Amino acid sequence: MPLVEIRNVTKQYRKGGQAITPLRDVSLDIERGDFVSLMGASGSGKTTLLNLIAGIDRPSSGQVVVDGTDVTRLSRTRLAHWRAAHVGYIFQLYNLIPVLTAYENVELPLLLLPLSAAERRKRVGIALDAVGLADRADHYPRQLSGGQEQRVGIARAVVADPVIVVADEPTGDLDAEMSEQVLHLLRRLNAELGTTFVMVTHDPKAAAVARRQVRLEKGELVEPGVVPAVRRA
Amino acid sequence: MRFLPYVLKSLWRHRARTALTVSGSAVALFVFSFVGAVRDGLARLTHGREAERTLVVFQANRFCPSTSRLPEDYARAIAKIDGVRDVVPIKVFMNNCRASLDLVVFHGVPAEKLRAARDLTLLSGDWAAFEGRADAALVGRALARRRGLSAGQRFSIGEVTVTVAGVFTAASAAEENFLYTHLDFLQRTRGLNSVGLVTQFEVLLTEGAEPQAVCRAVDAAFRDDRAATDTRPKGVFQAKAVGDLAELIGFAHYLGFACVGLVLALVATTTVMAVQDRVREHAVLQTLGFSGPLLFRLVLIESLLVSLAGGLVGVGAALAVLAGSGLAIGTEGVTVAFTASPGLAAVGMSVTAAVGLLAGLVPAWQAARAEIVASLRHV
Repeated sequence: MPLVEIRNVTKQYRKGGQAITPLRDVSLDIERGDFVSLMGASGSGKTTLLNLIAGIDRPSSGQVVVDGTDVTRLSRTRLAHWRAAHVGYIFQLYNLIPVLTAYENVELPLLLLPLSAAERRKRVGIALDAVGLADRADHYPRQLSGGQEQRVGIARAVVADPVIVVADEPTGDLDAEMSEQVLHLLRRLNAELGTTFVMVTHDPKAAAVARRQVRLEKGELVEPGVVPAVRRA
Repeated sequence: MRFLPYVLKSLWRHRARTALTVSGSAVALFVFSFVGAVRDGLARLTHGREAERTLVVFQANRFCPSTSRLPEDYARAIAKIDGVRDVVPIKVFMNNCRASLDLVVFHGVPAEKLRAARDLTLLSGDWAAFEGRADAALVGRALARRRGLSAGQRFSIGEVTVTVAGVFTAASAAEENFLYTHLDFLQRTRGLNSVGLVTQFEVLLTEGAEPQAVCRAVDAAFRDDRAATDTRPKGVFQAKAVGDLAELIGFAHYLGFACVGLVLALVATTTVMAVQDRVREHAVLQTLGFSGPLLFRLVLIESLLVSLAGGLVGVGAALAVLAGSGLAIGTEGVTVAFTASPGLAAVGMSVTAAVGLLAGLVPAWQAARAEIVASLRHV
């Protein structure tokens, strides 16, 4: 049984009196332990799809089931609790909390779980060690380079041992060398932890790190080498 | 508690803004507490057992104590009236009959009556020194602090010069602004010319006596005598004496409300700004799994802490000033003491907490209800 089952999902909203449909009737399965890249041009709906999988957005219609839970049916509060326990999110712009140290940033998701201080300390230590920043635990985000900030962001995403980690253009704000390091880290964590990764990127080199590539165009899934109009026909 | 470091660091992030809000709130709560202390002082004068169960016999149609001159021998007749337990003749002399923040009121009372009728505790000096010296005076703690008086010092107001035999504290804060001396000393003081005359009598009632009935009986006894009397319960007498002040104090009540409004506006503004500055950060927290109710509580706690910090500083400073200064305002021989009390501190901090929570409600709601995806795009 797939970890993620997306069934006939459409996302629509109105902007300036105009109906926008970033996703149209999308269905997709993602297997447990897989590493999937979502590719597509700007406005293709890849981030919208990622957000639906992460449970921070809701579809206008269709169903998103992650690890047996239909996240479209959860209330706001229950969905938040579900995210805390099941999802890790890596942002393009890191989005670390500036007033917290690297350690405290990584600890944040654990504060939502019923864990003792000692258990939290142990897990944060392991996560920071895994991203090679154990010696930067007391540093604030402003004292870290972009690559280091993103590694803290990755540690924060995996520290609660989620079933799925989603990454929205995780290398989009990094230079080539840093991008390479971060992608290598994601691939290693996927292999070592067995955690499912879904990564949005428009960079073919980054997408190549994934085991499976999924392409979106104008809100629709495209099989490799097939254009939407041909597929519909 | 596990989120407290984040809350505190968030407040510290804009420390200048937080400090300004805290100091603004502190000033407003200082004023609020001060107004509260004045209102409490007035309430204590006009309510309570002593205010209701002790009568003051004054000369009819007189206002300032210096104009009330009752024959001292009225005491014997008053003592015979049903319901009267004891009568204390008092000669009042003061430096100013009008409203003043530095009113010095001498009460000339027979030493044995003073000891029996007043609940005084000597902080320095002793009763023997008072009883053994004609010009001796016992000075209330607030007055002693205000005028820098201590046992052994001589102290003059106008024609009256006394030697401080001790400093006392009393159950009634207003009492601590008085100076007690011997009745005959004050009567014989040159310039006062009041041998055989007193300003007023304090009438202590027996258990079960009906105050109004005794008032009527006293006034009836002297209606056609040398000086007609006007007898009232002490609380009513004092309320009448400070009537004009009471109106001002009543007006100051609105000043207290204005201060609360000011704190509300300050804390609410700061909290709204703090939430608007962190739209994206709150969206990140929600993405990590922070629920709306949790964010609501965190913002509310921030607002509460800012308000409480202002309250601690403002109310604390007010209590310290009140306790250390012995401030009082008086008129016509009656003083309203501004006193620090645990009740005042409790009211101040309760108002502070309520205002902090109220100020945080709207921004907390906004933070809790924000759409994550839209907020993540917020610059």
